[in-house]
Amino acid sequence: MTTAAVTHDELHAGPAPPPHGWRRLTAPGWLRVPWATALFFGIGVGIVVLVRWAEGWKPYWDGQVITTVSLATVGIGFLVGIGGFDYWGRYAIGSPTRPEDHSGHGAYTWRDYFRINTDHKVIGIQYLVTTIFFFIAGGFTAMIMRAELARPGMQFVGNQVFNELFSVHAALMIFLFIIPAFAGLGNFVIPLMIGAPDMAFPRLNALSFWLLPIAGLMMLSSFLVPGFGCGWTGYAPLCSTHQELGAVFFNMGVQWAGASSIMTALNFLVTIITMRAPGMTFWRMPLLVWANFTTSLLVVIATPFIAGSQFMTMFDHIMHTNFFQWEQHGYVLGYQHIFWFYSHPAVYIMMLPGFGIASEVISTFARKPIFGYRLMALSLMAILVLGFSVWAHHMFVSGMAPWLRVPMMVTSVVIAVPTGIKVFSWLATLWEGKLNFSTPMLFALGFVSMFVIGGLSGIYLAAVPIDIHVSDTYFVVAHIHYVLFGGSLFTIFAGIYYWFPKMTGRMYNEKLGKLHFWLTFIGFNATFFPMHYLGLQGMPRRVSDYAPRFADLNFFISIASFFLGASTLVFLYNMIVSWARGEPAPANPWRALTIEWQVSSPPPVFNFDEIPQVVGGPYEYGVPGARHAVFNGDRVVEQEEVRT
Amino acid sequence: MRRGVLVRVVAVGLAAAAVAVAVALLVPWLPTPASTQADRIDFVFWFVTAISIAIFALVSGVIVYAVVRFRARPDDDSDGAPIHGNTGLEIAWTAVPAALVTAIAVVSAVALAENDHLPKHHIRVNVTAQQFAWSFSYPKYKGLTVSTLHLPIHEAVELKMQSKDVIHSFWVPQFSQKQDVVPGITTRLVITPKRLGTYPVVCTELCGEGHAIMRTEAVVQTPTAFAAWVKAQQKLAEQALGGAGGGPGLAAFNSNGCSACHTFKPAGSTGTTGPDLDNLATYARRAGKPLVAFVHQSIVDPNAYIEKGYQPGIMPTTFKSLPKQQLDALVQFLTEAKK
Repeated sequence: MTTAAVTHDELHAGPAPPPHGWRRLTAPGWLRVPWATALFFGIGVGIVVLVRWAEGWKPYWDGQVITTVSLATVGIGFLVGIGGFDYWGRYAIGSPTRPEDHSGHGAYTWRDYFRINTDHKVIGIQYLVTTIFFFIAGGFTAMIMRAELARPGMQFVGNQVFNELFSVHAALMIFLFIIPAFAGLGNFVIPLMIGAPDMAFPRLNALSFWLLPIAGLMMLSSFLVPGFGCGWTGYAPLCSTHQELGAVFFNMGVQWAGASSIMTALNFLVTIITMRAPGMTFWRMPLLVWANFTTSLLVVIATPFIAGSQFMTMFDHIMHTNFFQWEQHGYVLGYQHIFWFYSHPAVYIMMLPGFGIASEVISTFARKPIFGYRLMALSLMAILVLGFSVWAHHMFVSGMAPWLRVPMMVTSVVIAVPTGIKVFSWLATLWEGKLNFSTPMLFALGFVSMFVIGGLSGIYLAAVPIDIHVSDTYFVVAHIHYVLFGGSLFTIFAGIYYWFPKMTGRMYNEKLGKLHFWLTFIGFNATFFPMHYLGLQGMPRRVSDYAPRFADLNFFISIASFFLGASTLVFLYNMIVSWARGEPAPANPWRALTIEWQVSSPPPVFNFDEIPQVVGGPYEYGVPGARHAVFNGDRVVEQEEVRT
Repeated sequence: MRRGVLVRVVAVGLAAAAVAVAVALLVPWLPTPASTQADRIDFVFWFVTAISIAIFALVSGVIVYAVVRFRARPDDDSDGAPIHGNTGLEIAWTAVPAALVTAIAVVSAVALAENDHLPKHHIRVNVTAQQFAWSFSYPKYKGLTVSTLHLPIHEAVELKMQSKDVIHSFWVPQFSQKQDVVPGITTRLVITPKRLGTYPVVCTELCGEGHAIMRTEAVVQTPTAFAAWVKAQQKLAEQALGGAGGGPGLAAFNSNGCSACHTFKPAGSTGTTGPDLDNLATYARRAGKPLVAFVHQSIVDPNAYIEKGYQPGIMPTTFKSLPKQQLDALVQFLTEAKK
């Protein structure tokens, strides 16, 4: 299999020859970025000034409006510069194009990671490295917050800066880390897992990655123009008419990140539906593929709602529309309904891919088939459907129609049933297994146990009377971190360690991996478990100062959080050093059955020399003679259905 | 499954349950309830906790047992048992949790209905929230407006709440009742205090720069103490009526929530979030401005001069839109009222 890359390199041109002379300025890349960005900034300014002049609105030169419009045009300018639209541009104006142009495929030097690349494996790594950068930035804001909260009273930052810190923390962790990190893992793994040479739309794939740095830099630069201190939930009217310009950076940042995830989701859907290897029926798909399939459906259906809600608050803020302006008969609660109609499904967007990763890892390291495979897949679909009927449980104390509370409580607690099915199935998968506690397995088991705590505290929050007491307190902070840190982040770590050999062709350091797990596991619990108590006792969330009686516990939490933050250094050291100097990885270090492990590490540029034939389920561990996929070279007689 | 295995799993599960029960009982998780609504909410809390401990014990029992018992030896490359599922088990762990969550939903719905119920005999308090202060007025005692909430014990109170700017949220942890205060609509909350004492009123919905200091107090009193307090407040208002700035000044001071953050003896207020207004003359000297002009500026443009030890951006800037009459009365009251 390892010779496949050579064959393909002969068939398709490698990287295009570097352009010479002045052409280097017009060729897609970093030399074109500055002037294209400047040009589009100019276009933005021009549009604003021209329209204001034509309409006679003074002053013609309005800094706020110019900044807002530029947040759209500068991003487009950057994409034009880096080359995101080159192919479509040529096609649109009738220039010659090469539909089978693979010059943007594969990474031969580190530089290839910094340009438009259409290889899903390169894009997957681009995603992961970028999202880890924003993960560190988001972690940093958390560290500053915990430093401020270590003692009551104000020590390091002012109230407004504190509000901006937790707003940017959440915005980065949600929109620039968890959601795109799963997209990155999926990008690398899904085509390999279903036996496809790439994603269905490689150029769209490249474009959706390059939207991310734009979104992230926009969120971060909201610090430079004070004002995004209204929380990642961006409630109107605080986040519209009662904030400075910084809030607009959030409104627009969400548009870029949202567009990125919609495009990726469409790509996943088409890829999974149309590009599965022969023989891979839906009931033979690995559960990660199922998970990305359902997640992508959620993204495509729900994300337009948050895009709409952010546009509406921004229009209220800048253009004096009245969507949520109560003085002009706008409907304040309307914002929350639209926002949560996205943002509750978003919780599952941030969790379902993690379920998929946990299934892969637990099955492989328990050396056992997933217990109740079909019910596992169906419960994903159940969560998808139910996920759209629970949004108002974020609004039990919001002042919405009182009758809506009980129905929303019922759907919210019912969603615990499919979630419970998944937990019980993972436990049953462990039973009678041969458990190997490598780092991915530790993180997967850590995920299951932490997620159970997060899920149970979710039941408390779904029960209306308890929610009335704990809503908007530190209990919610504890819950969301048990779900998104103990849940999503643990599975992201599990996934990164699990596929690290496949991605880099090198093994990570197992001892450091285990150390990382234990430090994270202990630091995580020490940081977030006491927050349940704080919330129940009366400490609200999103405050820079608190009653003196909470001082000791907050001091303990801050120390624990620094410990937790430091544990990330072990992870970074391990990743960087192992990527550079780790031991070469074999094709299948975990003896897993899914297709991505049947090709070399790292895989050939076009993934497969020949198309794999899928002949059975993905987790047939312990079944004598069972295979998931075969290649022509070593084709065996198609096995009988193991499970009838 | 052999019986020995079952016994061991149950033993591990019981150990986990024992630890969880100890954590649940030894830590005082909930504040001592001070309202009848809090009692019901606490009941739902402990009901859910009992179920949660059972599930937690089951899960940790199986995980701990599996991790210890099914650990592969270093040289063991074999696979586990090829078990693909068990229909009976799968039906069980769908049906049992469904029944449990249904029970939780029913208990919650009943508690909610009881907590929302307003007895015929009750008093009403109008709550006004704004960045970053609370004010409470009692329609029953004409025009009585104060910045701390006083309630007679054992009498249901209906709070009718409105906001002047952004969304706030009213919460007293010991009452366990919480409700957002939303601009443009009136929200309501029912509380029946059952324990004497002074409790914090906390704003729990992020409302801007001063969110963390948007606090006041709720005082539960005996009916006689409450009546005496009402009398005292009414007398204070009358006294102010005779003084400089008179009634309109004091009324403006209270209804705009000044008393929540500022100490000012003529108004009987004791807030400490903002500067002590009994020392306005000193501040004006430091700012190098005549007193009246200084007070006027500090109301309409609070960030123009910030007294040492206080932060800019906390006092709302919305007072610049007060009607001129009210503003003048307020300035007069602040500069001329008898200490």
